[in-house]
Amino acid sequence: MPMFNKVLIANRGEIAVRIIHTCKDMGVKTVAVYSYADAKALHVLNADEAVCIGPAEPAKSYLNIEKIINVAQEYDVDAIHPGYGFLSENSEFAKACEDNGIIFIGPPSEVIDDLGDKITARKIMVNGGVPVIPGLSDPISDVSIVLKEAEKLGYPVLIKASAGGGGKGIRVVNSADEMPEACASASREALNAFNRSDIYLEKFFSNARHIEFQILADRFGHTIHVLERDCSIQRRHQKIIEETPSTALTKELREKMGQAAVAAAQASKYVNAGTVEFLLDDSNQFYFLEMNTRLQVEHPITEMITGIDLVRHQLEIASGNPLKLNQNDIKSRGHAIECRIYAEDPYANFMPSPGKIEYVQSPSGPGIRNDSGVYSGCEVPMDYDPILSKLISYAETRDQAISKMINALIDYIVLGVKTPIPLLIQILESKQFIEGSVFTHFLDKHFSSPKPDISDADIACLAYIAHEYSQKTPQSAGVLKKAEMTSPWQTLGHWR
Amino acid sequence: MQYSLILNEKNFSVETKLSEKNFQATIENKNYNVDFNAISSNHIQMIVNGKNVNAYVYESEGKKSVVINGKNFLIQDADWLEQQEVSSSGIQKSVNIVTPPMPAIVISVSVEKGDIVKKGQAVVIVSAMKMETTLVAPFDGKVISINIKDGDKVMPGDILVDIEADEKS
Repeated sequence: MPMFNKVLIANRGEIAVRIIHTCKDMGVKTVAVYSYADAKALHVLNADEAVCIGPAEPAKSYLNIEKIINVAQEYDVDAIHPGYGFLSENSEFAKACEDNGIIFIGPPSEVIDDLGDKITARKIMVNGGVPVIPGLSDPISDVSIVLKEAEKLGYPVLIKASAGGGGKGIRVVNSADEMPEACASASREALNAFNRSDIYLEKFFSNARHIEFQILADRFGHTIHVLERDCSIQRRHQKIIEETPSTALTKELREKMGQAAVAAAQASKYVNAGTVEFLLDDSNQFYFLEMNTRLQVEHPITEMITGIDLVRHQLEIASGNPLKLNQNDIKSRGHAIECRIYAEDPYANFMPSPGKIEYVQSPSGPGIRNDSGVYSGCEVPMDYDPILSKLISYAETRDQAISKMINALIDYIVLGVKTPIPLLIQILESKQFIEGSVFTHFLDKHFSSPKPDISDADIACLAYIAHEYSQKTPQSAGVLKKAEMTSPWQTLGHWR
Repeated sequence: MQYSLILNEKNFSVETKLSEKNFQATIENKNYNVDFNAISSNHIQMIVNGKNVNAYVYESEGKKSVVINGKNFLIQDADWLEQQEVSSSGIQKSVNIVTPPMPAIVISVSVEKGDIVKKGQAVVIVSAMKMETTLVAPFDGKVISINIKDGDKVMPGDILVDIEADEKS
């Protein structure tokens, strides 16, 4: 089947930039959409064509199905890549594409529907022979039934929103008397965030690891997994550091979980790229958690260890081509780590930090990849998820990947907005991280009230003063002429 | 020259002697020989006692953000700060007003004009980057006016709800 002529990217920020890169590699023309707040955003600057679709508010722009479909039709677009977040898991959007003769780069809308409802997804998995977390497979209507079931499972248990995601609509219940309020508040939060109040019950594992498997499936039923990612470093159920391979998996466990992931994809009739999330408890039992019907934020680490471009495969599969990779073609080499760089203050409870990026210096070097959506002088709007970039390190061993990441973070300079870079360095340098004991409550346990490292405070004071002095040139404030800039290396002779 | 700097709430006293592209400094009896070179307006290269240091600096509102070796510092000149406080005594400190900590959008107001409120009582909920923050009454008092409505964009420094302090508080 011929490749698409033109693709519209229904997203923004770093992921839109990343998708555009692969489209260019494949000779596919790109159409970007943007809100008023993103008029000078990097994805707009990089696309072949760009169309303004409305005000900053997502409902009026990036979440506006009608506007996006209209642009696709007007610009003769063959396919739409939805990225992650926004409309990527919106079955109504996928259906609108299907109904309008535009290829949605992802699974069919019915599959998104099924897997988007956690209760339905659970049932599909149970039927497909995929292990699920012990609990109730139906929505809770009666608190007394829940209490009986919770007694059977043993506390603590988890009340979860059926339509949930991103940590919303989840409550840990430690005892029977916490149950009524937990059910009520989880339900309320779910109704507010997702418009549906359905909740269900699962056993809660306090010492679990969050392991996910990448899936690729073509339209002809050929399904493979592309190994795992360990996403155990999370905050409020949001991932901040991911790595592959997982230090928790043996070769046998990896094979078993990989097969279960493929079974999960096949049971749900999955097509294109997706991710099966598992919970691994401390006795090495694994359970299906959910399946994400889109490209994940952390997909680059999989690309680094396998040498595969997942977005390329997404486009190929969507255009009707068979997946040419077989399971035994998938080989992993080395270790990759990803750190998410958000505009937020890690020492002030991760309070968002929108504003203007005055200066950004991106790290580089062998084994460093930075999927970035920002540049010096750009604005980080307050209306969207504050992800600036994803920094990935890749090396032969985990220890090497860790030290490479630490050095890259030290070289990553962002001025004007706050970022978690200093905390990420503290986490990666910690004994617990280096040992590989990374469970989902890692941050709560080891970095619950992080404090900045202020060793080198003296040097910082010297820098303050040097900056003052360097602005006091006779010619003009702040701008040094080239002739002035003789390096101390030249004037001082040999030092070392 | 004498510098009195405040770094992350700690005081640093620095005595310096400046010459061309170099200064000598003393901090708490430790001596530093600093050669410096501005690579750009945000990047200063320094050689501190023979060791190469790249420092990144961003100045805004009288404070400098300094990044060194993966660590961030917020530094102010204590003398400059004193001057500012003296000249702007008409402006209330943010602890005493209902104002957002960052640019945000008003989600809901939970009080009405004339309500009696207690210190710490939730007054306004604002949202920025999908995170909700509850703003509370800074002291016991009465709501004098509500200056915003749902959906308004607000900035740090804006007074969202005017509360008149109770005489006793």
